[in-house]
Amino acid sequence: MSETQSNIFNKIENDYKDYGFRAKELAKEGKKLIGHVCSFVPLEIITAAGCLPFRVRGDIHEPITKGDALLETIVCPYYRSVFDLSVKGKYDFLSGLVIPHGCDSMVRSYSAWSYSLPYSYFHFLNIPTVCVESSFEFFNAELNTFRRSLEKFVGRTITDHDLVQAIRIYNETRDRVRALYNLRKIDPPLLSGKELTMALTVGSSLPVDEFNALLDQVLAEVDRRGQSHLKKGPRILIDGACIDNIELINLVEELGGHVVADTICNGARDYFPRTDEGGNPIEALGRRYLDKVNCPKTYRENKTGTFEGDIASRFGDIGTYAKEFKVNGAILYVYKYCDPFGFEVPARKAYYQSINVPLLHLEDVYSAGTMGQLRTRIQAFLEMIG
Amino acid sequence: MAFVLGIDIGSAASKGILLNDQGMQASYECPSGGDFKLTAERIKKELLSQTQKSEKEISRTVATGYGSTLVAFADEVKPDMVCHGKGVSSLLPSVRTVIDVGDLYTKVLHIDGHGSMHNFLLSGKCAGGSGRILQVIAKVLHVKVEEIGELSLKSKKRIDFSTGCAVFAESEAISRLSQEVTKEDLLAGLHRALAAQINSLVERIGVEQDVAMVGGGARDVGLVQALKEVRNQDILVPPNPHMTAALGAALIAMEGLKDKIET
Amino acid sequence: MADEKKEVKPKKRMTATQAAASIGPMVKEFITGTLRARAEGKQKIAYTFIVCHHEEIFRAMDVVPVWTENFAGICGAKRDAERFLQRAESLGLSRSLCTYALCGIGFDQWREELGQMPPDAPWGGQVRPDFMISSGQILCDPRSKWYQASQQFMPDVPIYNIDLPYPLFQRDRDHRDVWDYYHQYIVKQLRGLVTFLEEQTKKKMDYDRLRELVDLSDRTWNLIEETYDLRKAVPCPMGTGDAMNTMVPINFMMATQQAYDFFVNLKKELEEKIAKGEGEVENEKYRLMWGGGLPAWFALTDFNYFNSKGASFPVETTYRMVAPLNQMDIPETKDPIEHLAWRWLGYWTFWYDKAKKRPGSEPDVERLINRIEEYKIDGVVMHEAFSCRTWHVGLIWQLHQLAKIYKPIPVFVTGKGGKKEKIYRELPSLILESDIIDITSYSEVDTKNKIDAFIETLESIRLNRAA
Repeated sequence: MSETQSNIFNKIENDYKDYGFRAKELAKEGKKLIGHVCSFVPLEIITAAGCLPFRVRGDIHEPITKGDALLETIVCPYYRSVFDLSVKGKYDFLSGLVIPHGCDSMVRSYSAWSYSLPYSYFHFLNIPTVCVESSFEFFNAELNTFRRSLEKFVGRTITDHDLVQAIRIYNETRDRVRALYNLRKIDPPLLSGKELTMALTVGSSLPVDEFNALLDQVLAEVDRRGQSHLKKGPRILIDGACIDNIELINLVEELGGHVVADTICNGARDYFPRTDEGGNPIEALGRRYLDKVNCPKTYRENKTGTFEGDIASRFGDIGTYAKEFKVNGAILYVYKYCDPFGFEVPARKAYYQSINVPLLHLEDVYSAGTMGQLRTRIQAFLEMIG
Repeated sequence: MAFVLGIDIGSAASKGILLNDQGMQASYECPSGGDFKLTAERIKKELLSQTQKSEKEISRTVATGYGSTLVAFADEVKPDMVCHGKGVSSLLPSVRTVIDVGDLYTKVLHIDGHGSMHNFLLSGKCAGGSGRILQVIAKVLHVKVEEIGELSLKSKKRIDFSTGCAVFAESEAISRLSQEVTKEDLLAGLHRALAAQINSLVERIGVEQDVAMVGGGARDVGLVQALKEVRNQDILVPPNPHMTAALGAALIAMEGLKDKIET
Repeated sequence: MADEKKEVKPKKRMTATQAAASIGPMVKEFITGTLRARAEGKQKIAYTFIVCHHEEIFRAMDVVPVWTENFAGICGAKRDAERFLQRAESLGLSRSLCTYALCGIGFDQWREELGQMPPDAPWGGQVRPDFMISSGQILCDPRSKWYQASQQFMPDVPIYNIDLPYPLFQRDRDHRDVWDYYHQYIVKQLRGLVTFLEEQTKKKMDYDRLRELVDLSDRTWNLIEETYDLRKAVPCPMGTGDAMNTMVPINFMMATQQAYDFFVNLKKELEEKIAKGEGEVENEKYRLMWGGGLPAWFALTDFNYFNSKGASFPVETTYRMVAPLNQMDIPETKDPIEHLAWRWLGYWTFWYDKAKKRPGSEPDVERLINRIEEYKIDGVVMHEAFSCRTWHVGLIWQLHQLAKIYKPIPVFVTGKGGKKEKIYRELPSLILESDIIDITSYSEVDTKNKIDAFIETLESIRLNRAA
């Protein structure tokens, strides 16, 4: 790998390690950076306000040393790490933070965040639990409330035209990411899972136009490769929430597998759904963030009357990816204390069985300390399906 | 002359101190084992034989610690934090904050000039940061738990250890060792992670100076040093820091005796 | 380490009031009642959750609610939850998730597999429902996931999920700026519930009856408030231990005459006790507040342990799921559904205005401060149940904030040179740790040790308190 590693991937690796490096520069220049957690925050509105969205990240290598003084240890371990880094001042260059109703850990800790951190702007965005006509109406109103509060913060109006522009540019990002994913349909893939997740993670710390430029460079670089530098191996789909540290993916690839698809937040969950263009921008955003983002947090009614029908409609995207990316096996990676994903484990298991994709279910605590344990299990799984 | 007994039955180790108004007459410690009642009897017998006293000469016994309710011959049972407070204050009267790093929990307490506790906090079940991890790591490294402090201080290049949780420390340590990390550097990393976690508990309750560290964890010079570095402040450690609860229990027994005489 | 026997038969908690003592049979009766309703087959049976402000709709439609959280709590209180939790675990569900839900799913899966109740099911077991009403609120993820997970084992049982959000507190905003569209949404969600129930029961909603029931529960709300206010008396006639019983009519029986009558009787009983000067404990030394967290249902006798040390609990935040309607700033309406939606918003935003007036305050913290003053509280006790994020995340921060903004207690200490000095100490607080029903998380030794140490701190302040 080192021989073929080019400048762009070097740059990505550096930015990944020094996460927020560019954001800090921009903050110094006077740009307003708005932090966000979770896939439910409409970045288009932040961008349309002239601010730069910045995804706050955790660090599995960093022990929790300050966060526990303010937040219980029974919260989502990923969220706990993000909070710990934040109270340690890692993201003090932010001007604000938006927390959506993604899960109980986010809702119940909102006060701890908003009273303990030095940012001047905080906003809580309510996300409905259901996808029905009245919930879209409500969500659109809630999106407009967010829009107004940002307008007040930046002191200027966010026009529909601003929103339309932002929607377009974010769709361009999504098209590029989709093109990157497509490079992994080839066997062996032209791009490793580690490279892709690193690029997307870095991208979530950059202004969207810089992210698009970065993606162009990556696409061009992989195009230059012509053929894959990787050896054939089992093709793996990772199913889970936000995995913003590459250790798990790296582990799979060190052990001879290739991560070729995923459902994760900083992956397909965030980047596959496009926003409709041409209509009312708030309504289009409402549809995208409420309906198209497929998160277990949103309750979706079983309209089939059978369990098989229910899981086929709830997890159908997994089946599509499995086919599209010729997946040999899947790893369902769930954080301890995660109620939204946790309660779906039996149904997800049943779904993988129904599409004949072997599954490894792992529960983890967002710490590098567990990688040794995971290695043994992933190794056995890859051997089993290989 | 009246003798009193303070006895501390911890989850890992048990300690006893025999006291009269001249001060400490004898002390003894042993592993707690599975039968706390028996352990308590053994400690008493041992202390009596050291001082050549008979059971009748013990005027009052105060028990404390995890297994204290099983000490059949105790006149009174006191919470271990209260005892630590008394014990530490008798040795280091300037101390106002006591950090007790025990086997199962780390406890932080605030005391006044008389050693009376007025506030306390325990580590959560899931937060890690208790002494158990030191025992776990000693086993992994095939060293005695008493040795790890000195080893840690010899570290030249401390590694970043990502957890202070006993459950995951083992697997992390094993995978680090396979990356050819030295024992010394690994221990220094672990001590740092543990100290940071203990410090987060200390910060939650707040600090009044001076600060003392007691409990089995305070015998680990590597951990004490790491906590000093993390806090960037001095931390006092009394002699025999694992015995302060037993000492405090004995002192409380003595106070009880005086109260009785006065009334 | 000595083994603590976990699954021993629970000791019965002693109650201070007659009313609390009457609760056990009452709960048993409504479990039996659901079994009877199933056998008779005349009424539809629905799984559902407490605190959704939908009881009136259920009762008006003659639908029998099965409170699944209650059944899990019963399993916990009877120390018979472990086998259902293990069954859930064997399905692939993590033990770190809400143990109420795990217990319920484990039970349902077992019942569906057998085609009958699992052996020796607590109080006859939880009946198979005709449908399930789950809810997505702004809190409690398991509420919209639990029935969905159970549906795997009974796919023919439909679910209706009502969404009931409320505006979260934000210091620099007025919740009234947004609550109209919240209200509209909740109204539509509740009307959707009515439509769903009409389809399921093949009956039409009788809106006159609904209006009467809404009026009945409004009156019950006010009555509960008046009754619980009586606990401000010194000594306190009824503690949180009892309130963990009297939560039953508040949470499971709202919109029934029985609930109203229950509080009429309780109020009378408390007034009599106050007249006689009878307290929950004989010699009241400390007045404590249960300031957060659901109780460990298998260890309610811990309240007796507190009592034995002279500690009484005049007030709790848990399960007091009502607020005085006359102090709520909500619009008048004749439409009962619209009223339910306003009451929902009024309840959740009850402390918002007050919290905004005190620098550094927040609704949960504000509620603590108000209760501390009204009930003359000496210390706060909380319980952190590891499996429930809904009620147990934010407690540490609330105590932290309380210490930061609330006036400290003056005490005298002996300073250098033996002189008395006046210093200030924060209100003592204690966080107990275990779970709502998972008894493996509980250590009696640790709990009692913590309580003993806490009592020592209360005593030290009591003895040295400066006027």
